[in-house]
Amino acid sequence: MNEAPISRRIFLEHGAWLAGALWAGVFAARPRAAAAAAASQTPEVFTKPQWATVAAVASRLLPSDDGPGAAEAGCVNFIDKALAREDVAAKPLYVSGIAALGRACRSAFDKPFEELDAKIQDEVLTKLQDGKFSAWPAGSVGQSEFFEAVRTHTIIGYLCDPRYGGNRDYVGWKRLGYPGGRHSLGGYTPQQMLGKEAVRPVWEAGKEKS
Amino acid sequence: MTTSKIHDVCVIGTGAGGGVMIQELCKAGFEVVALQRGPFLTTKDFTDDELSTIIRDEVFSPDQLETYRFDAHSPSQTGRFNLMAYCVGGTMTHWAAWSWRFRPEDFRVRSTEGPVEGASLADWPFDYAELEPFYEKAERDFGVAGDAKGNPFGAPRKSEYPNPAHPNRVSSLRFAEGARKLGYHPFPVPMAINSRTYRGRPKCRYGGNCQAYGCPVQAKATSLSVCIPRAQATRKLDLRANAMVVRIKLGEDGRARSVVYLNKNGKEREVLARHVVLAGNAIGSPHLLLMSACGSFPQGLANSSGLVGRNLTFHLHPGVGLLIDEPAMGISGFEAHQAVDDLHASDPKRGFIRGGVVAELNTLVRQPLVYALQAGLGYEKAGRGWGAEFMQYLKSFPRAMTLSGILEDLPVEENGIDLDPHVRDRYGLPVARITHRQHPNDLAMLKWYNKQLLELANACRATQTWVSKIPGVTQLDEHTAMRGNLHFHGTCRAGLDSRRSVLDRWCRSHDVKNLWVVDGSFFPTAGGYNPTLTILANAYRVAAHFISEAKRASL
Repeated sequence: MNEAPISRRIFLEHGAWLAGALWAGVFAARPRAAAAAAASQTPEVFTKPQWATVAAVASRLLPSDDGPGAAEAGCVNFIDKALAREDVAAKPLYVSGIAALGRACRSAFDKPFEELDAKIQDEVLTKLQDGKFSAWPAGSVGQSEFFEAVRTHTIIGYLCDPRYGGNRDYVGWKRLGYPGGRHSLGGYTPQQMLGKEAVRPVWEAGKEKS
Repeated sequence: MTTSKIHDVCVIGTGAGGGVMIQELCKAGFEVVALQRGPFLTTKDFTDDELSTIIRDEVFSPDQLETYRFDAHSPSQTGRFNLMAYCVGGTMTHWAAWSWRFRPEDFRVRSTEGPVEGASLADWPFDYAELEPFYEKAERDFGVAGDAKGNPFGAPRKSEYPNPAHPNRVSSLRFAEGARKLGYHPFPVPMAINSRTYRGRPKCRYGGNCQAYGCPVQAKATSLSVCIPRAQATRKLDLRANAMVVRIKLGEDGRARSVVYLNKNGKEREVLARHVVLAGNAIGSPHLLLMSACGSFPQGLANSSGLVGRNLTFHLHPGVGLLIDEPAMGISGFEAHQAVDDLHASDPKRGFIRGGVVAELNTLVRQPLVYALQAGLGYEKAGRGWGAEFMQYLKSFPRAMTLSGILEDLPVEENGIDLDPHVRDRYGLPVARITHRQHPNDLAMLKWYNKQLLELANACRATQTWVSKIPGVTQLDEHTAMRGNLHFHGTCRAGLDSRRSVLDRWCRSHDVKNLWVVDGSFFPTAGGYNPTLTILANAYRVAAHFISEAKRASL
């Protein structure tokens, strides 16, 4: 059997192109999230307070501005469902990281993360990313490791296929201007490839003749 | 357990090289048993889903594990550094389908460049003229679409492509416009993807998602869509999926006698064969030879030269990102539709030798998750990969393009793979350990090409440009060094001198006369083009030789 601990650092150092392969190395593949469960919005892994903390972090990572962000996309729901299935190996990292973040914020600001002002929350996240939040309790999971896991998961939750429980109402794809995978809809016409014919996104596919 | 049946040929691996051998040998009437470590996937398994296919890699190589280190003195990292597909059809199943012929000079790099300090340049043991008819055969079988007159710097050809070139999209027209402005000669990338219905496979829909994805309609020519069905139609093929080969065993006569594999349940099985054709790619093939060390070959099977696993080359990819002022439509069609070869010719005045082809290459910017996840690594104006600035960055997705290339890195004897002494895979086998450090020529080449690509990006009327700093792909220094790639070659190099090569000019082991290696391992040098068409053409060449020798009963 594989006795080697798979270094999470490798993912942190890469994060692109081969990220797919590396991500899978970090979080071993597990059976697919059932679509019904993914859509439920009912916590499966997180407690209510844990859910609130992760939701607050996600909302600063992908803030709503003139359009929807992580909150509207349901990123925390995506993470909760992923931790129940495909990414179950990351659950201990979340449990430890969430607790550590709560303790660190109480010690530094007398408040849990989710009750801090957005500006302070951003400062905390910047420090976490750099591994420089001095209040972070010793013995917990690494702060930058925790940050990178939540950042990566939140982005995936924002831009994945909605069947995984994120990207609700395709808000992530709408921000990108991405119409969704087109193979099942017959691909693109040469006119569409030249930008001379509109591309109907997959969420309007029901209205499209197949 | 051993069955008593002796197969004519056992082919290990079913990708580009293995697929062609299986097809050609079955058609010639040989009884072939083919072993593939992964499952038999079908078009139903190939979807547009980026999360399962790219990010979680659940489709193609969930088991893959490797280690990497710079040199014998540096620590190893464990992970997955090479993009492979463990399934029937091999890595070709998710290839990008760029289909180039190497140019005549690519076959004699040592002669034309002379010795280079720290590099192990070598000539190929055959020339372009010998491979030319097999390039043509490969192009016909795989239905390559292109413009025979498009590339004034390409290899000479005697025939048109079997299919016409594909239509353009906004980004490829921009690329061509910029290239012409600089005096270059843009041309359509030759693609093994159907531009019209061809030999029972449909025309491409331009739905995107070619590289790293399986084609759901089989418009993309692969071993899975072309070779395997043809071989199966002969009823000469015994195809065994989920068969993880662990050892090639010799008989008392010194010839390969059998192949041992683990089946889906982890049970050991052994097949007997008169010939063994190894096609496990330039990582997998030397890995298996090293695992097959035995009394006669304590350093690894067929390794009297000591070169099994050495001289690993990866290719280099420069990378410049740009935004344009309209939707680039890079999400449609292929990774690239247009390329230029004006910068390919070797010129020591540039401060390095060798070069490569340059193209638009939208792989990095047409996947929503990859576009977002990679943003922190060199893409300016993406903030820290989160926050308000990042949310604005995401809106640039439709207007993004990438310019890249396939650059010829130099072979270095110390670069290679061996058996990791500590890390084991899920079968309990030692994983392949990559030891690799770029030659100084590689880094000089990369810098120069990035500069040219920036100029080209501006000529494409970019509104913003940046050099991509993608570790593992764009290796700017040791910290971000090349750990792996999509192309790998050189680890069982072919040559005329049995002390300086593993294989002879027919890709047959110098040491073990009924053992052949037909993947990219045989490449003495890497070339400045994607390697697959050359792997295919060479496999046709080897198969033709095998068949004619077998008829003369001289094998």
